[in-house]
Amino acid sequence: MADTAVRLKTHNRLARSLRHVGDAITRDIVGAAGFGILFLIILMSVVGPYFFPLDTISDPDKLLMAPSADHFLGTDHLGRDIWAQVVSGGRELLVLAFLTAIVAVLLGIFLGSLAALVRGRFDAVMLFLADVWLTIPRFPLLVVLSGFFRLDAVALAIVLAILSWAGLFRTIRAEVLSLKKRDYVEAAFMLDMPIGYIIFREIIPNMAGFIAASFTLLMRAAIYAQVGLVFLGLLPLDQNWGVMINVAWNQGVIYNPDAISFLLAPTIVICLLILSLVWISRSLEELFNPSLRK
Amino acid sequence: MIGKGSLPVFIAGKLLKVVFTVWIVTTLIFFLIRLMPSNPIERYIQSLVVQYGMTYEESSARASALFAIDLEANLFSQYLDYLSGAIRLDFGTSFLSPGVPVTAIIAARLPWTLFTVGMGLLFAFALGIVLGALAAYRRDAWWEPVVSGTSSFLSAVPDFLIAIFLILLFGVFTWGGRGSIVPIFQLRGNYGPGVTPGWNWAFLRSVWGHGFVPILTYFFSQIGIWVLLMKGSTTSCLNSDYATIARARGLRPEKILRSYIGRNAMLPIATEFAMRLGFILGGSLIIEQLFVYQGLGLELLKATSNRDYPLMQAIFLVMTVAIVLSNLFAELLYGVLDPRIRQEGKGPHG
Amino acid sequence: MMSTVYGTDQENLLEIRNLSIRYRTRRGELRAVEDATLLVKPGESVAIIGESGSGKTTLISAIVRMLPLNARLATGTMRYRTAADSLVHLDTATEREMRPLRWKEIVMVFQASQSSFNPVSRIYTQFLDTARAHNPAARTSDVMDRSRKLLELVALDGEKVLHSFPHELSGGMKQRTLIALGLLLEPRLIILDEPTTALDLLTQKKILKILRSLRDQYRFGMVFVTHDLGIVSRLADRVVVMYAGSIVEDAPWEEFYQDPKHPYSQGLIRAVPKLTTAIEKLYSIPGTTPDLVEKIQGCPFAPRCPFRMEICTRENPPLLPVALGRSAACHLLKEDSSESTP
Repeated sequence: MADTAVRLKTHNRLARSLRHVGDAITRDIVGAAGFGILFLIILMSVVGPYFFPLDTISDPDKLLMAPSADHFLGTDHLGRDIWAQVVSGGRELLVLAFLTAIVAVLLGIFLGSLAALVRGRFDAVMLFLADVWLTIPRFPLLVVLSGFFRLDAVALAIVLAILSWAGLFRTIRAEVLSLKKRDYVEAAFMLDMPIGYIIFREIIPNMAGFIAASFTLLMRAAIYAQVGLVFLGLLPLDQNWGVMINVAWNQGVIYNPDAISFLLAPTIVICLLILSLVWISRSLEELFNPSLRK
Repeated sequence: MIGKGSLPVFIAGKLLKVVFTVWIVTTLIFFLIRLMPSNPIERYIQSLVVQYGMTYEESSARASALFAIDLEANLFSQYLDYLSGAIRLDFGTSFLSPGVPVTAIIAARLPWTLFTVGMGLLFAFALGIVLGALAAYRRDAWWEPVVSGTSSFLSAVPDFLIAIFLILLFGVFTWGGRGSIVPIFQLRGNYGPGVTPGWNWAFLRSVWGHGFVPILTYFFSQIGIWVLLMKGSTTSCLNSDYATIARARGLRPEKILRSYIGRNAMLPIATEFAMRLGFILGGSLIIEQLFVYQGLGLELLKATSNRDYPLMQAIFLVMTVAIVLSNLFAELLYGVLDPRIRQEGKGPHG
Repeated sequence: MMSTVYGTDQENLLEIRNLSIRYRTRRGELRAVEDATLLVKPGESVAIIGESGSGKTTLISAIVRMLPLNARLATGTMRYRTAADSLVHLDTATEREMRPLRWKEIVMVFQASQSSFNPVSRIYTQFLDTARAHNPAARTSDVMDRSRKLLELVALDGEKVLHSFPHELSGGMKQRTLIALGLLLEPRLIILDEPTTALDLLTQKKILKILRSLRDQYRFGMVFVTHDLGIVSRLADRVVVMYAGSIVEDAPWEEFYQDPKHPYSQGLIRAVPKLTTAIEKLYSIPGTTPDLVEKIQGCPFAPRCPFRMEICTRENPPLLPVALGRSAACHLLKEDSSESTP
């Protein structure tokens, strides 16, 4: 009995949070479903294109066909297989969303912890700027920016990340401020550890859950913005679910019951992807914030 | 006791922040337009020279008239001119419809967006807080997971995908061969071709018919958030010490729900509502495109694709100012509702 | 000092007999309180002590039937004698029947917290709400007068506090206001959960002094939970020690302090060199409390008990009288007492 207690104390925090994640996945059905769906979508986007290559040539005999044995989601307005397009349409979206989330999280962690650790005038100015920044409507700003620059996919990912700095900055700053009050962080300060060391060794491991949750929400926002801009025709991407929706919409597929899967298939996959991200983030948040548990 | 001097100071501080924010955004837009490598004014002048064979001077005179910028002056005095124009709500005239002031276009488009997004927000808010409160009170009921699950689904799905589903459900599917619920022609535009705008029945009915599915889209895309927010807020109030102690004091359940839980649960929700009011204008771009609904969002899209810079910058500024003002409203509202803020003179995030 | 003796004819204010309380948890049923018997006489004050998770708070919350939703009363009875001298069965009472009792007869003051009052309304509204809940005809001016007097009793500026918002009061002021509010309807039993935690030492002292003088003045019965033996010594007539959901000892404070019978109680007293030290820091008793979800075989304290015998791992000892007015649950004592009594 007694030595169990001692052993528990020596467990490091990382191992503990890993065990938490494991616990949560087995206990939390919604979170598990989220992880499952995301895994399947990633698998489909990574492996799928090898088994279902895109049709590169159009086939005028098979325009906008209903689902059949050959094309089980039917064909598009150029007679190309829709399932193959769905399979190939996610890779770019996922990679870019991932890129956005990584850059945004790093930026948020850097600025947020810096402001919270340095405090003083820097902190006050940053906080004020973040407040101002948050009042600028993000999607209209993207639309306006696309009027000035020809954004490509990677540039968009970076711009999106930079645009999202303020929200994450504020939450991470608040989080770090509360962490700062805890004993071990205070101790690190008193020992005059370098700030970088404190951020990476003490603060980040303790915010893993929060960061992971923000990460998935950022991915969601990135997907929304990408698909939205592509749908509006403001972003030149070629193979992407948003493009499919855009083309299907402009072809008036919505009024053609046979070919409705041209429009519905990418819509549903995007819904599933976003749902899975939201579920994952909710379960991660719940995991690291016990007060949310029922 | 309430410090008498603190409230004016509090409001003055907030107003100062509003002015500052608007100034930053206005400045940002000015320099985006003036200083970008391929700045739109330069580009416009070039296009005039190339397309219409005007001289550079003529073109630049025309450009300065359009942009309300004196291109001969130095950058700083141009900036001051632009600012003073903005203060007088003078944003120049549109590129596409020469001679039409930008403000006139905005004034014509604004009510449509306010109408549809506002109605959607209002309905979603009203039903959302009722459902959210019920879901919190009756955590054991069989329908609670249904309400919460649906809400979390709706709050996650992008609004334009909801619009696509709704168009399918209302405008495309023929239910039992009787035709669609809403005639297809009503899914495009603001009102039918045969009606004259004004306070007449035919027009109002047509407006309602065309606005119905867009409003429903905004409703569904927002209701999930309200249910979840209200449920969370109510739950935390239900679990609060003051609610427990009110029960221990033998207060009637109705009294506890009304004066103790209801008031406290509505605090953050009312503030959030006030804040979301500002997003009415900016939150409608894709939906308005889908329904070809002639509102502010669609106007911004058209302005962008046509490079109508004066219109673009003005619409964007209007959208931002709406958010800034609603934030101000939310903070003041919070101050009125919550005695803690009222006295400290701090915002909810202070 | 009031002497308390079991089985006298004196009528009890509160009688809890063989009460068991279970929580439904994801891992199974948690036995929070097991076969607890607790009797409180009018005007008597009883302290319940024990480590966190020993079931103290669950036991006292059960008295006013304010347990969490996942809790249920499994066995036992709880009876309360009202001012009108009628017996109320608290264990079977409905919410509708409980409401008039709460605060009018039995006041439950939950753990000292920063948010006992509705943050958006002034203190006087909450005094008025309470009075009106039990007497809709209560006159505002009467309630205000009485509230002012009570607040002055707890050494507060009545007029000022009544017109304050909760956040304008300090933690200690809030706790004193809550105690004043507790006296508003002249209850006969006051239950306090950790009345002084989260308060600084000076404030703790002040509140204890106030509680003592109020008790002497109003003669209400009192049951309180604490970690702090200092509070017990200042306020309690009798001590009840809980361990892992069971009551392991029940004795008058003076005798308990001089001569604790149960090995766990002995550990508690020994672990506290000074009366001001909190029991929470009591890691000198080796081992940890058992998991209450798993079925415990034998005495729950056996794994940590220095005097463990073979029978202890097999049989759970019942709470039995060990001396006049004292009882304890330990096999060791049963044998002692059977040998010592002729």
